[in-house]
Amino acid sequence: MMGVAVATMRRNLLLVPAIAVLGGLFLVPLVWFLVVSFYRVSLFQLVHEPNLANYARIWSDYLGPIGYTAGISALIAVVTTLLAFVVAHLIWSRGDGWGNFLLGATLLTLFGGYLVKIYAWRTLLGREGIVNNTLVGLHLTDNPIDALLYSPLAVVLVLVSYLLPFAILPVYGALRPIDPTSLEAARDLGASPWGVLRDAVLPRIVPALLTAFALSFLVSAGDYVTPRMVGGTRTQMMGNFIESQFGLRMNMPLGAAMTFSTLLTSIAVIAAAWIGMRTFLRAK
Amino acid sequence: MKQHVARNLGLVVGILTVVFMTAPLVLVVLFSFNDSVVMTFPIKGLTFDWYRTLLSRDDFWGALRNSVIVTLAVGAGSTVIGTLAAMVIVRMRPRVSALAMSLFGLPMMMPPLVLALALLTLFSALGVRLSLMTVVLAHLTFTMPFVILIVTARLRDFDTAMLDSARDLGASPWTAFRSVTFPIIRPTLFGAGLIAMALSLDDFIITFFMLGGGNTLPTLVWGMLRTGVDPSINALGALILLATLGTSALALRITGYRG
Repeated sequence: MMGVAVATMRRNLLLVPAIAVLGGLFLVPLVWFLVVSFYRVSLFQLVHEPNLANYARIWSDYLGPIGYTAGISALIAVVTTLLAFVVAHLIWSRGDGWGNFLLGATLLTLFGGYLVKIYAWRTLLGREGIVNNTLVGLHLTDNPIDALLYSPLAVVLVLVSYLLPFAILPVYGALRPIDPTSLEAARDLGASPWGVLRDAVLPRIVPALLTAFALSFLVSAGDYVTPRMVGGTRTQMMGNFIESQFGLRMNMPLGAAMTFSTLLTSIAVIAAAWIGMRTFLRAK
Repeated sequence: MKQHVARNLGLVVGILTVVFMTAPLVLVVLFSFNDSVVMTFPIKGLTFDWYRTLLSRDDFWGALRNSVIVTLAVGAGSTVIGTLAAMVIVRMRPRVSALAMSLFGLPMMMPPLVLALALLTLFSALGVRLSLMTVVLAHLTFTMPFVILIVTARLRDFDTAMLDSARDLGASPWTAFRSVTFPIIRPTLFGAGLIAMALSLDDFIITFFMLGGGNTLPTLVWGMLRTGVDPSINALGALILLATLGTSALALRITGYRG
């Protein structure tokens, strides 16, 4: 008996490096970051006097930007999750070449340069870009549309395009174990395709849909590169405000408080999405 | 009839979505050979000039060197630490192991900006100097969960009877691991390491805040993006694409990992 206990204990030692990484480089920094959000700076030095001034300032000055960020991120997350479901369903339902081709394309775009993709979209949507040249060439518009680039629309387009592969894979992973023959039985008994989808497919993949939604929402809410590169000066998302506290403005505590306010809002939105999915996509 | 329409509509929307997702990457590669500064169709001539311009930049070679160091260190570190953890997690009772998996998975769900700023704030309080080392440490946090996920999934399919017989025949845990477990899971480890490397190589946000000076390939792209239109970005983009696609395609092939 003793031997088994010792062996288990020795085996558990293998967890130590991973715990050190998770604890030392993730949990401890986050807790410290939370503590700092209650401090203030004076003459570029942290002043260790806990107070709520940062949060009070966010409450009075930044509720608008937080709401705007949550709105645009929710739009991106909804569009991404819907399109991801369409593609994942296609890959799952088509055993033929098309399914494999789409899966391959998804896996290939998973990695491949976050900044490079943004750059490509910038040249696509620009005044002299391919989209505008095509529109003018087809005489759909007389002059190039400037609003394609440097607008909230551009931010949505770029982030949806970037996030799709990350959303498709978990949804496809959840669809894959579902046996299509079990669904054919429902069809034989007279259920409509939409009925089968609603009652037999969607309820079983709620966790994956939520993962896709949460991932898309969090990445969008925390992004500052895309809004800066394609959003124009009017599209200021929380990521931009947060990042600027660590660059020019050197106000870490305010930046930390902004981060936790945005995270808290994100968790609330994701929880609402979860409740919504559980209510509307219940198994019958 | 109606079903037919719905099915085809799904196909059309799905294919358009995939085109929308892949188009930027295809264009970057295409225009990296374009014989003109203006990025528009039709492409009149092909050239390697943008690659030549890129390779003649001094800062490209420095960035490449830094990226190689970080990527290799993160790949090795993440794979070793993640695999050790996975070996304990598969032996846990189902509830405990589910809890451990979600705990270790937390950094995957955190926006990179938050990871970067929390670490930056701690490092600045502790007086840690930023360097390639801090980049590597930061990258371990979000690459390790992928390794744990992939290796745990592989070890769950693993037939432990073989391991038990090795132990019954008197092999020490280390010998049993080296001669039985390791040869079987080696392809998975290799694949998981490559995925960690692809993620590390592609990261810009965390690297940007953790890097004291110099460049990695993504921060070099960032610098070039800010100086205006420069088609050698296409060449650099195509090279990064080649590297990440190469490693991840190889990884997915080896592990058979599908989400």
